[in-house]
Amino acid sequence: MKNILSVRGVLGVLLGISVLFAAIATYYKITVWGFSILPSEKTDVWTIDAHISFKPTNSAIEISLATPSAGKGYKILSEDVIASGYDAVKDTDKNRMIIKSHPRKNKQNVYYRIMLYDNKDTIGKVCDAQTPKVNKPLFENEQQEGLVEEIWSLADKEEGSPATRIIKTLNANILSHEVDAFLPIKTTRQIMAEKIIYLLSYKGIAARIIRGVKLNEKKKTSPADLMLEVYESGKWMVYNIKTGEVGLPKDFVLFQRGGTSLLDVSGGVDSQIKFSVLKSTISSFKMAGRRAKYENSKMFDFTIYNLPMLEQNTLKWLMIFPLGILLVVIMRNVIGISTMGTFTPMLIAMSLIKTGFVPGLVCYSLIITLGLIIRATLTRLNLLLVPRISSVVIFVILIMQVLTILGYQYDFKIAASAVFFPIIITAWIIERASITWEEDGARNATKQIINTSIVAVFTYFVLSNEYIRYIMFAFNEWNIVILFIVMLLGTYTGYRIVELKRFAPLIKDK
Amino acid sequence: MWEYFKIFSTPKKLRAVGVLGMNARNYFVISRNNKRSLYPLVDDKVQTKKLANGIDINTPHMIGVIEHQYEVKDLTKIVENQTEFVIKPAHGSQGKGVLVIKSYKDGMFITTSGKKLGFHEVYQHISNILSGLYSLGGQYDVALIEELVHFSDVFQQFSYQGIPDVRLIIYKGYPVMSMMRLATKESDGRANLHQGAVGVGLNISTGKAIQAVLHNVPVSIHPDTNVDLMTLQVPMWKEHLMIGAQAYEMTGLGYLGADIVLDKFRGPMMLELNARPGLAVQIANGRGLKEVIKNVDKYYPKNLSAEERVDFVLNNAK
Repeated sequence: MKNILSVRGVLGVLLGISVLFAAIATYYKITVWGFSILPSEKTDVWTIDAHISFKPTNSAIEISLATPSAGKGYKILSEDVIASGYDAVKDTDKNRMIIKSHPRKNKQNVYYRIMLYDNKDTIGKVCDAQTPKVNKPLFENEQQEGLVEEIWSLADKEEGSPATRIIKTLNANILSHEVDAFLPIKTTRQIMAEKIIYLLSYKGIAARIIRGVKLNEKKKTSPADLMLEVYESGKWMVYNIKTGEVGLPKDFVLFQRGGTSLLDVSGGVDSQIKFSVLKSTISSFKMAGRRAKYENSKMFDFTIYNLPMLEQNTLKWLMIFPLGILLVVIMRNVIGISTMGTFTPMLIAMSLIKTGFVPGLVCYSLIITLGLIIRATLTRLNLLLVPRISSVVIFVILIMQVLTILGYQYDFKIAASAVFFPIIITAWIIERASITWEEDGARNATKQIINTSIVAVFTYFVLSNEYIRYIMFAFNEWNIVILFIVMLLGTYTGYRIVELKRFAPLIKDK
Repeated sequence: MWEYFKIFSTPKKLRAVGVLGMNARNYFVISRNNKRSLYPLVDDKVQTKKLANGIDINTPHMIGVIEHQYEVKDLTKIVENQTEFVIKPAHGSQGKGVLVIKSYKDGMFITTSGKKLGFHEVYQHISNILSGLYSLGGQYDVALIEELVHFSDVFQQFSYQGIPDVRLIIYKGYPVMSMMRLATKESDGRANLHQGAVGVGLNISTGKAIQAVLHNVPVSIHPDTNVDLMTLQVPMWKEHLMIGAQAYEMTGLGYLGADIVLDKFRGPMMLELNARPGLAVQIANGRGLKEVIKNVDKYYPKNLSAEERVDFVLNNAK
């Protein structure tokens, strides 16, 4: 008794440790690597293409492009420059991409591509320690100053911060005469932004233009989007120049802010930059590695998720086995169901996963039935055991072949699943069933086959569950827990459930 | 629905009557008392027979052994002067693969159930034995041909064909529980309880019937011969126990099952030993093994000779 207690004690402690470890690992995977608990979760990946074009001027070309900085509300999956013959270097301090080339002729096209994911809602407040200097505008004449005064008096009727009020006034549905006079006939976003800055500077408020791209798939190509940054009580606040809304929207990727330019091209004229945006979805899994890199987590390199897809798929398949084995142990040692061969039901269940439930079951029954008929015929031939079981194996292969061909020809999908069943196991089931049939009668043989099938079907329903399979792969550390549960079951000396029935006659006072 | 669950007992109730479950048997009894290296002594019937003959335990005489396929055709030579014999796999279990030939004449073999077999069919059967069809784990096996037991008339009325045998459970050399297994029409001459044989629990100190079960249900008369099973008394009981007690020294196995048959002429004979005897004996006896095993561990004297242990059992066990 002492012995078993200490073995159980040790195993229990190990189980506890493994549960703790698994729990921590799972927590880490979810929080740091971004693994999801649900299998179907996807991550949006945004591809932004910046198309730069210009005419060279026969001198050395140097393009300097402001690029989004990492870690501000999104993560960068990849950054790329597509331009043949150009040298691209990233200046990480200034966050600019420098693309150089020898002098060229003809119109040049240079592409910059960045892929982003995990974009989060950022409030768009950036602290700036230095209070920017604001130069009050110099007015050409008094009339202009009066106009500005008038616009401000109109703006004061609106609500919100000075910037909001001005933006609302300039974007009103029915423009006042003053605004009409103030704005040029044709306004672009650029002009609008400049006018707002001008008006704000009159009141001593610093403002500047920021450029970026809206993550919006609908537009084909577009120039960089503009927003306004206004310095308010020690912070730069982002404003939408159309609506006056405050804050950097979730779908806005900032390329350039502050005093720098978006694009500088030396050695070229008529430079233009156009952006296009494309959204794609990738399973959260594939992104996990990227996320891990952000956290400088070297551990990820030593996990199965860093393997090539082929190996990953194989392991994904293997990772479900321990759970199947646990089920087999429970079925046999706790419940006490006797099946043909210890792991046969599990292997059948695995095949059923590949074939699909109903087609697999129908097909399998067909193979077993045909196999039993053939085996019955073989009995009469008085063959020795090994050649006989070998013939059954070959027969099983032939049956599978015929079923698959017929299934394909007549578009009968059920039959086509035949190839997925383990041939040797199938042959042994046939052999055992046949022997049991001869030795213990049809009743016992059928009972054994039914037992095996029931266990297989049950195992199938557990293992085929997409959620369970995902969990066992994504959080494969739980397999260690399963190991210790199985080992602890090895010390289970209580009654099996079927024994409660078997030994029931021993209880007299029922 | 609820009615169905009534056929289940509860672990608490089973524990109260000391029922030994399969897991507990494997964990506490077999793995502690039976050294794995000793298994071949009982798993191979040829070896068991040789061991038994060495210490004068009665076993059916061996007629011959067929070890290789090419020897199978020699069967007729081996059984030349015999009219009745048994062919069995040396590594068989639960009576699987046992072929009993009642008479043999002009190349025709007639089994106990009256089935006529040609040489070809018997040849096939031996081939199957050799290729391991009936052996544990499917390893290659040998076929053992031995004399047919002329089972005692005492049990004629108690069994429908087949050979009634006594199953003794021996724990640390002490016979602790026993039952007699009687073939029925349903079990087709076989003595396995799960195939429909009657199990009669025997008083370990007297060899007298305690109770009988058929398919786990208590019965008092044999379903085919209608004989009152409670009148069953195994003669030469002490000799039966002696075989069991000696088997302990012979094999060194602490938990052992011995199958003993009573021969008309030669008395009790050991048919085979089993290192993992089943638990059906508890049902036949209406009593759990756990209690008895505990008593042996705690109170039974140690270091007694086989004969002293049998005397102890005859005088003390209840």
